[in-house]
Amino acid sequence: MRKVLTSALIAAFVSLVATRAWAQQPTRTSDGKPNIQGIWQALNTAAWDIQDHSARLGVPAGQGVVVGNEIPYKPEALARKRQNFDNRATADPETKGYLPGVPRIMYMPFPFQIFQTTDHVVMVFEYDRGERTIYTNGTPHPRGPLNWWMGDSRGHWEGDTLVVDVVYFTDETWLDRAGNFHSDALHLIERYTPAGPDHINYEVTLEDANVFTRPWTMRLVLYRRKEPNVRVLEYDPGRLLDEAQAANR
Amino acid sequence: MQMRNTGLVLALVLAASAFLDAQDGKPKTVGGCPAEPAAFHTCAVAKAKTFTPPRTRSGKPDLQGYWRGQLAQSFSVEGVSGNEPLVGSSVMPWEISPPMIVDPPDRKIPYQAWAVPIGRIGVNYHQYVDPRTTCGSGGVPRLALQDASQILQPDGDQFVVWLHEDHHVQRVIAMDGRPPLGTDVKLTNGDSRGRWDGNTFVIDSANFNGYNWFDDSGNFYTDNAHIVERLTMIDADTIHYEVRVEDAKVYTRPWTLVWALVREKEPGFELLEEACREGQRDLDTLLQSGMKFYFDKPWQGR
Repeated sequence: MRKVLTSALIAAFVSLVATRAWAQQPTRTSDGKPNIQGIWQALNTAAWDIQDHSARLGVPAGQGVVVGNEIPYKPEALARKRQNFDNRATADPETKGYLPGVPRIMYMPFPFQIFQTTDHVVMVFEYDRGERTIYTNGTPHPRGPLNWWMGDSRGHWEGDTLVVDVVYFTDETWLDRAGNFHSDALHLIERYTPAGPDHINYEVTLEDANVFTRPWTMRLVLYRRKEPNVRVLEYDPGRLLDEAQAANR
Repeated sequence: MQMRNTGLVLALVLAASAFLDAQDGKPKTVGGCPAEPAAFHTCAVAKAKTFTPPRTRSGKPDLQGYWRGQLAQSFSVEGVSGNEPLVGSSVMPWEISPPMIVDPPDRKIPYQAWAVPIGRIGVNYHQYVDPRTTCGSGGVPRLALQDASQILQPDGDQFVVWLHEDHHVQRVIAMDGRPPLGTDVKLTNGDSRGRWDGNTFVIDSANFNGYNWFDDSGNFYTDNAHIVERLTMIDADTIHYEVRVEDAKVYTRPWTLVWALVREKEPGFELLEEACREGQRDLDTLLQSGMKFYFDKPWQGR
């Protein structure tokens, strides 16, 4: 018993030291940037509702990811949010199998994989073959206006934090299944900070003067998927919806 | 929307340039090899032996960059002859083109007898909506001839990523010798594992869901297919792309397709977002005209 306890204590100590050491010195790519490659997934209820919420049928209760919990909607936007919530069963773009947009895709309950080259951080999502290329080669956003479902992402490293500026959205994506929304003027600043070998602190600030009275922020943790041979598979909502439609014809 | 328009403009520009080439009557070459798939294949295999590709920092052949398919068309991998009625179509005329098949020697897909009337402008073409038209993946290998693509060799050499503009499809090719997925996990683009064979990037894929065609004609494979792609640089801007298809359910023997991937060199070029389902307009019309989704694949039960 004592031996088991001792081993457990040693293991815990070693793991603690390893995590501490990593926090000071993350593993690096050959360019010397923090190596955040791997398969990641959010483990929270933001996909259903980014704010604090009680359980609903089929929806786990959850503590929100919005800093301070309040979203500073303009009055008319708050009315629209409430309307979205009431009509969410059919009005949510997710129900149509569309690309979910950013930041929503970051906390969908599906894994995604990050790859790094000198000039890019690429994210490949299991959900809807979503893909984000974050250019880290110093190039600016292309000349707009553009309306992209996943926006245009340009990033740079500030110390060990990847900072990404995202613009050029559509007004057709939502932020969750509870009707939180934005317009095509949405501007995101994302911050990815490694916190140990298996965690990334993810922070995103949303600016959208059409909908919000001031910028606001969400914070959540991305967890590394560690199962042996874990792979990003395929969930193609459009195809699955079509298949259901075909079965009903 | 914006993107679909750009894609369309791009397609028109490409079509126009191909037309101009033909008008000029210039001998067309690709990577210094004849611009006919079989002749290109013979020439490219020889050229690959003498070309030393650039290397990544870790010493692997460096295939990174933006690429476009050439010597390829989406009408039929078996080529389009002057007798094909669709050449005269007023809606979308097909172009007379040589076969992309280089083996077997007759350059036809070696279908088993039952499969001929399904593929080759048969049941698939006449009764089903092309799966790509429903905004899914063009599938392997058709993806490599639609629009531009980008090959990335991320740090650590554990994966190669092949991003395709067409319907935002990506392929993640595991290079670390990991075991394959269980056979019950079926994927549109299959489970792809890669390796380096000298200077050649070899992608070995299985676990397909069989929901894909090779071309607009409805030529097909099943969920039993095993596809091996070989990508070899023959000069700094040209890849010899060879695809061997094996599927004992449909063919009498394995067969091989070849085309070229040519580097896109436009300054500042980047892949654009090509949302598809989000702007889908014509699917309902097709379904109302009696065409069916390909989900009840006519080869099922074989």
